[in-house]
Amino acid sequence: METKWAVDNLQTIRTLMERSALYRRALAPIMILAGTIGITAGLTGWLCRIESNRGFICLWVVTAIISLAGALFLTRRQALKDSEPFWSPPTRRICQALLPGFFVGLVMASLILIFSSRAWGEGVQLFLVILWVLFYGCAVHAAGFFMPRGIRWLGWIFIIVGCVLLSYLSFGGHWGDQLQAHLLMGGIFGGLHLAYGIYLHFTEQKTSTA
Amino acid sequence: MNPDLFPQLNRVIHEKGRLAIMSALAAAPELTFTELRDLLDMTDGNLTTHIRTLQQEGFVSVAKSYQNNRPLTSCTLTAAGRKAFAQYIDLLDQIVRQSKPK
Repeated sequence: METKWAVDNLQTIRTLMERSALYRRALAPIMILAGTIGITAGLTGWLCRIESNRGFICLWVVTAIISLAGALFLTRRQALKDSEPFWSPPTRRICQALLPGFFVGLVMASLILIFSSRAWGEGVQLFLVILWVLFYGCAVHAAGFFMPRGIRWLGWIFIIVGCVLLSYLSFGGHWGDQLQAHLLMGGIFGGLHLAYGIYLHFTEQKTSTA
Repeated sequence: MNPDLFPQLNRVIHEKGRLAIMSALAAAPELTFTELRDLLDMTDGNLTTHIRTLQQEGFVSVAKSYQNNRPLTSCTLTAAGRKAFAQYIDLLDQIVRQSKPK
């Protein structure tokens, strides 16, 4: 009886310790980096007039890969600086939470890329932007359970922006030309990340012990 | 089984709510009051009472600060708290190991 109680207690302690290990590494630099890359990619796509579905998808998949690589680099650098393991339990859980949303986004992009000229007409880019924003918002919100609370708000902002755009599209709103998709991507992904990164940078610095 | 192990368990940590707080703080450098409350699903009053008890024992330190002009309470495990928690875990582990059939 006592043994079972001790085992249960140890299990509870372990679960609580796992749940409370929040991911706190380099969030502001990661957000600022992702935001800057996003805005740069948006402007590049717009200024270079990349209009085809293939061009659009390739540009933004490459942008996502560069942003992810940059985020991993910053995370690893901080882990080394703090003499902590890079692939820590919180990092692992964040990646697991982000994975489904990222996976669906990548599959959608791949399908549109492969069947671009047949099943999907030109102009699917704006629809893809909305779906990416929605899935990204859900993924960030899921990851937010292992990070400081503000991240979940960022996830909700992405979801709300996606829903507003989807409603606009559903009610027959006017979209202009295909190049607007790049500006939307740059504005939403780049702008929101940059804004949140700047917010984190200043609020974390302003925290002072009384 | 050695029956002397049970009385050695720290009474302050042994309470369910306080054990949960200690466990959560043992895995994080620091947690805010809100994070602890959400994680452990406790009421503000309950959490405050337990934290005060742990603070009086010297197991937890509480820092009051401001973030965006709003008060922010952060809790950290002290060195004494970490040591007491490690001893508590060690005792639980011993209890489990002693009762295993050889």
